[in-house]
Amino acid sequence: MPQPEVHLVGGAGVDAARLAPIATAMREQGLIRPVLLAAGSDPAAATRTFGAFGRTPDVTLPPAADQAEAVRHFDALWGVRTPAAVVVRGDGTGSLAGALAAHWRHVPIMHVEAGRRAGLPGSSTAAEGDRRLLAQVATVHLAATPLTAMNLLDERIAAGDVLLTGSTAVEAAGTLVARWWPSAPRAGRLVVVCAGPDRAEPIGAALGKLAQHYTDLEVLVVPESLPYPERARHLAGAYLVVTDDEDVPEEALAFGVPVLIVGAHAGAAESLYAGSARAAGPVPKRIAMTVAGLLASPVRRDAMTAAGNPYGDGHAATRIAQATAALLGHGQFPDPMPARPAAGVTP
Amino acid sequence: MSDRPDERNAAMDLVDFWARSWTNDDRLAVRRLLAPDAEIEWNLDAPVDDEELAQTLHRIVVFADSVGLAAQTVVADGATLVYDLAAPFGTARMVEFLAVSGRHITEVRQVYDVTAIDRFFPGLYEQ
Repeated sequence: MPQPEVHLVGGAGVDAARLAPIATAMREQGLIRPVLLAAGSDPAAATRTFGAFGRTPDVTLPPAADQAEAVRHFDALWGVRTPAAVVVRGDGTGSLAGALAAHWRHVPIMHVEAGRRAGLPGSSTAAEGDRRLLAQVATVHLAATPLTAMNLLDERIAAGDVLLTGSTAVEAAGTLVARWWPSAPRAGRLVVVCAGPDRAEPIGAALGKLAQHYTDLEVLVVPESLPYPERARHLAGAYLVVTDDEDVPEEALAFGVPVLIVGAHAGAAESLYAGSARAAGPVPKRIAMTVAGLLASPVRRDAMTAAGNPYGDGHAATRIAQATAALLGHGQFPDPMPARPAAGVTP
Repeated sequence: MSDRPDERNAAMDLVDFWARSWTNDDRLAVRRLLAPDAEIEWNLDAPVDDEELAQTLHRIVVFADSVGLAAQTVVADGATLVYDLAAPFGTARMVEFLAVSGRHITEVRQVYDVTAIDRFFPGLYEQ
């Protein structure tokens, strides 16, 4: 009997990075057949990222200018090749379009990293509305952290449909390090800045001034357009990451690199609580002072690293693969991830 | 959903008419467009049939400041429509999946952002 086909929707580079470990786990378990899709506005980005994990997309959809076009592409594919289930990750346009197209065809949806919310319950922004809509059409909600699971419960999602799995960023980081960057110690200390264009330059300039005191300091401002594999390479080698991006803290902590989060991010609460991230107001001088403190005292910086990673324990992909198989009638749903971070565990 | 150009154009006309009808509170047109045995389903905590659907859409239009179409995907036998329902204190999003056959809508599946609906459209439906 052929294995049921499960389509994993890589709607962006970061989606592809988080889905690649799930495809690996599905293949290892041998109960379902993962099919990788490169889709969204820039399928080439997903293709490139899958490539960094040694995988080629099984299906590449044409680039979609907007959500409506993306839905049409997914529907055209699933009209002739209907999967047993669809796996989407996060809340990007490609993920929502994939989820809507799957819902229309009555295909069950596994939503990875479900429950991320930016603000207060009932926030009126379109982005938050899309996130809540995705939660309404998803079949199983695979939450990365206890807080994101609680966000879903706050929205009256049935508790039995929510599974705490952790994020697959940990497995993705482990794979990339093993495959591409096996322990190459760095001579100096690299501070990586991943921020929006309006913030990146002033922060980079303020940090650059610290180089007068710390001769081993190198500051690298990473543009948002940098492909995922290259960005990940910089994150992996960093001493500290400064960011206002939602995805970067998970990625940096997966590499065991502490994070300074600029501005308010509800999604970063768990890493702030664990101590592996710190928050700083969006003032370049203040940020530079905090970074200087961490450069002056490596013990403080290492204490952040030792606080562990609240976003995953390295078994998320296995849990997600097992849950998907269970949904399709193969085996049992897995136990949830233990809710406390394992201190000091890095890939 | 299949995607043949001539059928898609016919479906597009029907879907446009449906969207214009209910967003302009034309309940008569809404009832005429729905097939007598249309399958109707939504994610609100209340049972639904064609009459309840027409009443709820009427209440949305009456209460909302505006109802806008944020995105639509139409193929030969169906459509996906995303609406922004702007109420005085905030906006709720709703996705509508339609199946069409001939001159009628044979299936309506609505997915509401229930958190925003409960917050910005209180009393929209009987729980």
